[in-house]
Amino acid sequence: MKKPGSSLILNYNISTTIAFIAIVVFFIIFTPNHLFIDIRNLVSIGTLMPDLGIVALGIGMLMICGEFDLSIPSLIPLCSYVFAILLMKGINPALALVILLPLGAVLGFINGIIVVKTGLPSFIITLSTMMFWKGVIFSLSHMAPISITKYINPHPYFEKMLIGTIGKLPIQTIWFVGVAIILGLLLHFNKFGNWIFATGSNKEAARAMGINTNMVKTTCYIIIGILCVFAGTMQSVRLGSFNATQGIGFEMKAIAAVVVGGISLRGGIGNMLNIFLGILIIKVLENGLILMRAPVFGIDAFIGLALVLFAIINNFIQRRLA
Amino acid sequence: MSSNESNPNTKELLKMTGIHKYFGKVHSLINVDFKIDEGENVGLVGDNGAGKSTLIKVISGYHRAEKGKIYFKGKEVKISSPKDSRALGIETVYQDQALAPDLSISRNIFMGREPVVALGFLKKKVMDEESMDALKNMGLYLKSPNITISTLSGGERQGVAIARALHFKAKLVILDEPTASLSVKEVREVLEFVNQLKRKGIAVIFITHNLHHIFSIADRIVVLSHGEKLADIKKKDTNVDDLSELIIRGTIG
Repeated sequence: MKKPGSSLILNYNISTTIAFIAIVVFFIIFTPNHLFIDIRNLVSIGTLMPDLGIVALGIGMLMICGEFDLSIPSLIPLCSYVFAILLMKGINPALALVILLPLGAVLGFINGIIVVKTGLPSFIITLSTMMFWKGVIFSLSHMAPISITKYINPHPYFEKMLIGTIGKLPIQTIWFVGVAIILGLLLHFNKFGNWIFATGSNKEAARAMGINTNMVKTTCYIIIGILCVFAGTMQSVRLGSFNATQGIGFEMKAIAAVVVGGISLRGGIGNMLNIFLGILIIKVLENGLILMRAPVFGIDAFIGLALVLFAIINNFIQRRLA
Repeated sequence: MSSNESNPNTKELLKMTGIHKYFGKVHSLINVDFKIDEGENVGLVGDNGAGKSTLIKVISGYHRAEKGKIYFKGKEVKISSPKDSRALGIETVYQDQALAPDLSISRNIFMGREPVVALGFLKKKVMDEESMDALKNMGLYLKSPNITISTLSGGERQGVAIARALHFKAKLVILDEPTASLSVKEVREVLEFVNQLKRKGIAVIFITHNLHHIFSIADRIVVLSHGEKLADIKKKDTNVDDLSELIIRGTIG
């Protein structure tokens, strides 16, 4: 018997899964020499995707409670910059990462507290903090990359932990899946997740039931700040340097991925598995289009087209199912 | 004999005296006295802006009165947040703010009061079973505790919200316009839910614009106008026509 609104995983949306399978099948068939399923290509996806993916998972959770975060393309290089500075001061990279976690939390907290205390749209607030931190990071770094290879090399275990491989499987993929599982458990099986959905679905009802919706939102921002530390550090270790443009464009790609994952822009509806698949879809689209020799600098045009198409199909399937 | 005098046979549940509430320069509640006995059903009526919502928000801890005293079971209490009010056993069902439409019935019933194991993980099975029991207790038979609220009818939604109040052992349930924008059939359902509460000995404050709705269920009716209490009448001492006349005129005599 089919239960209405499946019991444990709220709002699971089958159309994202269908779209994901369709896109994968499409690229397997139509990429030259079926390059898409070449193991080297899959490894490359698994290595590159988590940079955006890990943060986007947090963005998805935040969007379920009805808010946006556009500040991530500044928080990521900011964390990465401080990481490079700490390494230059001779601090052990693992310790540097531990020191960074509270910094990420504070950056997220600043976003959250401004959003809930002013009551203004988070779109505007985090647009502002994005520009503010971008200015800070550009003037501190003079936009010059800082090589960190010589500080990381003496610590092969640290490097393995963040960007190594198990067999062919990139560690980044494991981190990505791990974060998705942890956030999924939190969102669907924990009372905090229930508060997130309640806050996004009807803030007044949640408040009347004694849920501190300001705390819920701020905590989601803090989680994103911490994820930015992970993503920023992981990315700069892989690149071997800090780069002021790390994470550029992630804010919009994250929203695109989350929306492809069927999350309502007004909050209250969503599912971690769908967010995960939404991120995969965006990255697979990028990758597959490049393999099909779409002009690299015009790739966004194709993704934009695909997004509109997806939104239309998604809407159609949803209405059919309803 | 004035109905304000306490009757030795019934126990007073909630009493408020000399309540004043200001919003900036607006004097929303002016020296209002209000009381309700255990198991009593009081209809709170009045025109828009009469202060009905403000009064119940003071009781439910959403607003704090600038002046006045609140007694619960004879003891003076401070209600400064919705949590305080719920701790006393007062549950408020707001018109559009009671439920989260995208969430399931059981997630709504336990919203903010989830039964959990270690680390805050939900006891989903307990939530589901107790939700179904709570609904049955109200005479509401729905297929599954996992149905999304947005797919329910207006009457069913009120039923879920009232079942929630009942499940958490409310002694006083405040219903804010529970019959607004409902169909005739749904209104009858909701009034039946309210009667269920009465049979279980739970006191109810029922806010409405519609005197006919209140007349079928209330023991006593309190009329507010422009922030002041205009009348406090036992149902048997009045009728719908006199009351509507009173509300429209806005003054006694």
